[in-house]
Amino acid sequence: MRPHPVAITVFVAVLWTVGVLLATSSLHGTGARDVGVRGSGPEGPSVAELASGRCAPTITNPGGTNNYVPRAPYTNPLGAGFTVAGTVRDEACRPLPGVRVQVWAQTATASEQRNRTSVRTDDQGRYRVDTDPLVAQFGEPNVHVGYDDPGPWRRVFLRNVTRDGDTGAQVDLVLSP
Amino acid sequence: MNGVRGAAVLTAGVLGLAGLVVASTSPHLAGAEPVLVVSTLTATLAVAGLAAQPWLARGRVGAHVAVGSAVLVLVVVHVAALLVLSPDDALFAMSPDGPTRARMALISLVLLVVVACLGVLRRRLGWSGPTFRLLHGGFALLATVLGVGHAVLTDGALEAWGTVVLLASGVLSVAGGVVAVLGRRPGRRLSRRPAPAARASGTGPAAAPPPPGRR
Repeated sequence: MRPHPVAITVFVAVLWTVGVLLATSSLHGTGARDVGVRGSGPEGPSVAELASGRCAPTITNPGGTNNYVPRAPYTNPLGAGFTVAGTVRDEACRPLPGVRVQVWAQTATASEQRNRTSVRTDDQGRYRVDTDPLVAQFGEPNVHVGYDDPGPWRRVFLRNVTRDGDTGAQVDLVLSP
Repeated sequence: MNGVRGAAVLTAGVLGLAGLVVASTSPHLAGAEPVLVVSTLTATLAVAGLAAQPWLARGRVGAHVAVGSAVLVLVVVHVAALLVLSPDDALFAMSPDGPTRARMALISLVLLVVVACLGVLRRRLGWSGPTFRLLHGGFALLATVLGVGHAVLTDGALEAWGTVVLLASGVLSVAGGVVAVLGRRPGRRLSRRPAPAARASGTGPAAAPPPPGRR
């Protein structure tokens, strides 16, 4: 005796649906990039954008606000062994000095909820946060960088990933009014 | 229970213990919050249960139901612990924007619930043995493969030897599922007469012809 044809149809349909759902999923989550030193490159404007002087604004990605807490204290450095660095620019690719950026990530000694700091960009728009090496948070190491300074720029929050053993990540931001 | 099935269930138990040892000694859980430890260990046990399930399906219905129920409870505790650990991350993982490994887990959970419902409604549905085997056993196998895939893709306590344990559990489960779905006992072909326990197991050959007009 064979299974009922309707059952076979249902089973094949479920298999097909599962295949489509997996094929259309994002390995790291929608909008997240591997920004570690061994990853696919830094988050931020491309070389061509920088050369043209027109940088596309950074857009908050899904999960970017996970575990965000407003007004994090200035506690940089958080540790040693991993560096999160980047440059904050406007849409004309000009560096923005003195803007507040928040960085938070999971380490072996501190959860993502607690391991956070605010930092201000220097006169060339650069920021740098040192922390202990990142460990997996919900399946892979990830680093959050957000701009939450009250001011003329729109707030933006990013969730990007790194790999075990990475020693740094670069996350550049382009702010828009 | 014949020798091969007994050995398979024993192997699943050994793999479960090995998984517990690997996970509990992993640096990922050193100093971790208790809810993360609970979440990891319940998931490890659930994988072992899934590895044993197809081998319990024929002739050990009571054990099959008990282990299946335990697996469902373990998976629910696993998810609940993650929600307690970090609601933001858990809800993001379960959203359409979550990573592939989380989508695999979510689909696996849904399939497990469907499989459990089919098991509970087995008699009421009145489906033939092959029809029930295809949907109950087939979805269970799919849930197991997705669950193991989720665990392998997850950077956590079950890396290195843990991955070996996970893959071995997956292979054991698939092998048992193939044996159960094809309706063959390991080592010998089925006789044409249904086994006495097959009617209740739902994974053996059709114990009685389906009522007219019903699947």
